[in-house]
Amino acid sequence: MLDFFIFILLPVLSAAFCYFVKDLKTQYSISLIVALLHLGLSLLVFLGLYNTDLPTFFSSDSLSKLFLLILSNVYFWIVLVSFSYLKRPIIPKAEEAKKYYFLLLNFYLASNSAAILSNHFGMYWVAAEATTLSVSPLIYFYRNEEALEAMWKYLFLVSVGIAFAFIGILLLTLSAKGTPLEGEQLFYTAFIKNASQLNPIWLKASFIFIFVGLSTKIGIAPMHSGDVDATSNAPSPIAALMSGSLRLTALIGVLRIYQIIRPTSSAEFARTILIIGGLLSLFFVFVYMFKVKNFKRMLAYSSVEHLGLITLGLGIGGLAFVGALYHAIFNSITKIVLFLMAGNIRHNYDTREVLKVRSVLNFMPKTGWLFMIAFLAISGIPPLGLFFSEIKIFEGILFSDKPYILALVMFFLLFIFINMGKAIFNMLYKNGDGEQQSYKSEKFEFSHFIAIALLILLTCIAVFSPNILYENIINIAKDFGIIL
Amino acid sequence: MENVLSILFCLTLFYVIVTSRVKAYVTVLQIQGVLLSVLLLIPFIHNFSVYGIILPITLLLVKVILIPRYINKVISELEIKRRIEPTIQQMILLPIVIVTMITIFIVSSILSKNTAMDVIPFASGFSSIVVGIYIIMFRRKLIVHVCGFLILENGIFLFGTAVASELPMLIELGVLLDVFVVVFLMGITLNRISSTFKGFEVSHLGRLKD
Repeated sequence: MLDFFIFILLPVLSAAFCYFVKDLKTQYSISLIVALLHLGLSLLVFLGLYNTDLPTFFSSDSLSKLFLLILSNVYFWIVLVSFSYLKRPIIPKAEEAKKYYFLLLNFYLASNSAAILSNHFGMYWVAAEATTLSVSPLIYFYRNEEALEAMWKYLFLVSVGIAFAFIGILLLTLSAKGTPLEGEQLFYTAFIKNASQLNPIWLKASFIFIFVGLSTKIGIAPMHSGDVDATSNAPSPIAALMSGSLRLTALIGVLRIYQIIRPTSSAEFARTILIIGGLLSLFFVFVYMFKVKNFKRMLAYSSVEHLGLITLGLGIGGLAFVGALYHAIFNSITKIVLFLMAGNIRHNYDTREVLKVRSVLNFMPKTGWLFMIAFLAISGIPPLGLFFSEIKIFEGILFSDKPYILALVMFFLLFIFINMGKAIFNMLYKNGDGEQQSYKSEKFEFSHFIAIALLILLTCIAVFSPNILYENIINIAKDFGIIL
Repeated sequence: MENVLSILFCLTLFYVIVTSRVKAYVTVLQIQGVLLSVLLLIPFIHNFSVYGIILPITLLLVKVILIPRYINKVISELEIKRRIEPTIQQMILLPIVIVTMITIFIVSSILSKNTAMDVIPFASGFSSIVVGIYIIMFRRKLIVHVCGFLILENGIFLFGTAVASELPMLIELGVLLDVFVVVFLMGITLNRISSTFKGFEVSHLGRLKD
């Protein structure tokens, strides 16, 4: 029961605490302790040093262990940086938003943990909807018009999307008519065991509804718009949280139904849908990158790209499946660095327009260099993490039954890299009119420390490739019946 | 009995399509809430149990009293005009809805040959989902969008009873709580939107573009 307490109850209690205690520093310390406990325990669970004993509706397997670790890792760093972020001056109207910042963050942690650890579709749905509720007020942090519009669109679109996922869950019940599962509860484990007996028509319909509904939250094209608006207008730590962990929480719902559909005759159908979703996302990003105006929006689209790549890899199967799971880890870490540095740039230049940001390397050398390294990492330059996972995905595609997809993916990724690079290097190097070429020193901020720590972590995981991580991912592949 | 209630449910959908008053939407939501609660109560007429009655009572409380009251409060606070301002006329939408519903009913009766299910509640639930989406697509006012979303949710609920999915009560209550909080948050956001943009229509939301 200790695990249930730390993963779900403690964040709820801490949220309640944050409601009653108004002092920001106390709220920060409490949230940080909760985040640290969460990270510690999920690491212990991941390493196999602690066996989970969760109540009904919750359980843990290799997949949820991995995703839980990604969640608590991203969350910990975000909470750590939040205090220094909140100290920055903002417009007076936005001061009230600070009061609820840590409360909502704690609520976010509780609902995400519940969604990842749930082993019942109903429970997953309730928790996934709760994650939307916790994150949408945070999008409206700056209290400006764009943020308000983004919050409304995110809240509305994702709520409708999640309602669609609920239809999918009900259709899953329908597919169980006439099997031993009829009248039983919607536990994943039971469904996976009896998957081959499910009615294929309803199972396919269920997969489509759940995939389309949750893709509003994952940010897979063509349902990505609400998610992109939200990520680009939210404060940087929240944007990093959404890109790094919230999208994966939604992805786990799709993975659960995919796991059920894998051993059935409808598996090929589900694979095709996942591959189309992934390719379509890459295509949309490819088109967008030709007309980049707003650099935070560019990063939001980059998340669409990488989630698309992950979905594609999951759909292809084989080595690409393993690569996709590695990609989820590396992407989550890199996105924190990118968004935090983008937040520093936005704060300094007070704009999100690419054209108005000039010679970042002169004015903010530390932020500039870290931003550049993170950009190289996200583009898959070795030895930074994403190179290894992308190579695995490419290899998987090449040796799958659809090798021609690799040509398309390479084409899209090349142009995304060129156009994103053009925008970023313009921001970093190009001098504004009549400005002096003088290097200014930038104060070493806490966010720089976190960025460096995360980049080291990213490289270490990629280079040393811990055996326990590899084994866990292989176990997930086995659970999905994927032959390597 | 379920079939009668489902047909009544479908009639409310026709009303919501032809009406042009915002308040009528709220009334329809209340009627639908009552119908759903009665539908849930039917199994307990013969064997009464306190445990089983919790869900219908909560449903009645949330869908008939709390949410409609809250929406009415938002409408009167924001002084939203009574008319819904459609993007296409009701008399054009009505035939579209009728055709859609006929298609849904025919398709469901074909599908029911292979799978055991209650055709009429199933098709009514699905029609309500589609009508909810139409309302979101073809109406300008954001508050009407919220009502459309709730009609969609009601449809899902009816649909759920048709496929006889028995979710545990804890989760059903969680779903209701989630829906309530969503509407609550939407109301707060609408409040902000009306004070920031001086209006509550979709056309005001056009700042975020690629």
